Amino acid sequence: MRKRILPILKRSVAWTRNHKLRMAGLVLILVATMPDAGKGQFLDPCCAMLAAGLTTISNRLNNVVGGGLNTILSVDKSISDFEQQVVWPQGLISQARALVGSLEGTFHQIQALTQIKVNSATLPGSQQLEQNLLSRNPSQIVQTTAAYNALYGTVPSATDASSELRDLVDMTDAAAQTAMKRAIEIDSLADLELEAAGQITQSVQNAAPGSAPILEAQADAWLIRANAYTQAATADLMRLDAVDLADSSAELKMGASSTANLRQGLINLLEHN
Amino acid sequence: MRLAVYVGYLMLFSLFAWFVTNLGRRRQVVAAVIAALLLIHLAAPPPAAAQGGLIAAVQAVLKVINGAIEIALNGINNVRAAVRNLYRSVAWPVELIAQARAEALQMIGQYRNLMASILNVNLKSATLPAPRALESLIRDHRINNFTSLGQAFANTYRAIPAPADASPEDRAMADMDDALVLDNLKTLKAADGATDLELEAADSVENAASQAAPGSAPFLTAAATASSVRSQALTQKMLAAELRQEAARMAHRNELRKRGATFTLQLRGVLINLLQHN
Repeated sequence: MRKRILPILKRSVAWTRNHKLRMAGLVLILVATMPDAGKGQFLDPCCAMLAAGLTTISNRLNNVVGGGLNTILSVDKSISDFEQQVVWPQGLISQARALVGSLEGTFHQIQALTQIKVNSATLPGSQQLEQNLLSRNPSQIVQTTAAYNALYGTVPSATDASSELRDLVDMTDAAAQTAMKRAIEIDSLADLELEAAGQITQSVQNAAPGSAPILEAQADAWLIRANAYTQAATADLMRLDAVDLADSSAELKMGASSTANLRQGLINLLEHN
Repeated sequence: MRLAVYVGYLMLFSLFAWFVTNLGRRRQVVAAVIAALLLIHLAAPPPAAAQGGLIAAVQAVLKVINGAIEIALNGINNVRAAVRNLYRSVAWPVELIAQARAEALQMIGQYRNLMASILNVNLKSATLPAPRALESLIRDHRINNFTSLGQAFANTYRAIPAPADASPEDRAMADMDDALVLDNLKTLKAADGATDLELEAADSVENAASQAAPGSAPFLTAAATASSVRSQALTQKMLAAELRQEAARMAHRNELRKRGATFTLQLRGVLINLLQHN
């Protein structure tokens, strides 16, 4: 090994002596271009200053930013605790949902009560009218008049009764029939209201505290609508009472008129005799 | 990374050394070295060791931390604290929530039993056996004894006359009147049952309200409003029954009027005949 290396070294030294300028140039280039070695942290003053600066920044970050964020975190945590324990406690929300579920069961019972058959007529004519009146089906209203006339008769013909009496009979029949038709409508509307109320109650069971007020608003709208239907039914009842009162009054008037006619007839009879 | 730089540098320097050793003339060697030095200086100028710039940069960062960031964090903290105070003092004060719950409990104690006892006062007034039985049946809130109701009604108000005992018109009208009365009595028994259930529901909602939180109350309100809709529907059904009954009463009276007109006509004919015979 030595025998091989020594001749190579000797040749190299000889070449270097013969090419001094080239070697000097290469050394110069080597020195000029050699990558920098890492600067010692303990010896370089720049690094020491940088470390001091970074330490100060770190301390300020800890105190100012970290402290501020911690304060905000503690406030946020207290808000979160308050919301979870006081405003929207999960336990009470679940409890309210469960109550709505049990109320729905109660309301199903109420709805079942409204569907009970109450038909009681025994004769064909009255059975037909009763079936029509209890049908809760607005499409059956067209058959009400026929069933009514079959049971209560029609307005007497012009030859069979005076015009006053015919007017009175027709108006009373009209009021009675309208009330019966309205009763079918109201029954049907009430069924739809019960159905809608059931849907809303079911939605409330699956609602969130934020969406429940929307359902509440919807239920309020339905309540307003229901009040309007109740008013419509009450109005028809009042109309019926009004026609009834007018009917009594007309009877009184017709009675007075008949009495006057009778008196005049008797006077005429006595005068003839 | 650093190793890659060294290896790259070694390769480039070896290439340059090979190039220089192979040059023939001295002038060429000098020119190559000078050209390489110039190229190095142009491509990679020596880094500036600016100590003053570093201090300024650190101070600038500290200024940002102490200034803008601290102010912003304090501002956020103030806003969050204000929100917390708003929640606790204005929106959902715990004391007022507790007070509302206590009030619900107090009202339950004050009114519930009193009102239940008023509603349950015995109103029965009939004295004879048949009316007593009927009165008892029409007020029992039950829906499974409609047959007994029909029998008790017939016992008190009697059955429809036999065909031989009354005209078909009278029988039909009596049947219709009785039917509507019985329909309504049955409807009222069901309505009484529904009223009981509604009162139970109201009690449940009130009980829950006495323990509710602001976040759970909307569920109760929505459910209570939906029950109000149901309650209205039941009221409407009762009004519909009332309409039917009133209408039937008027129709009955009107039918008698129609028959009266017919009788009058017949009587007039009989009288005319009688007078003509005389």
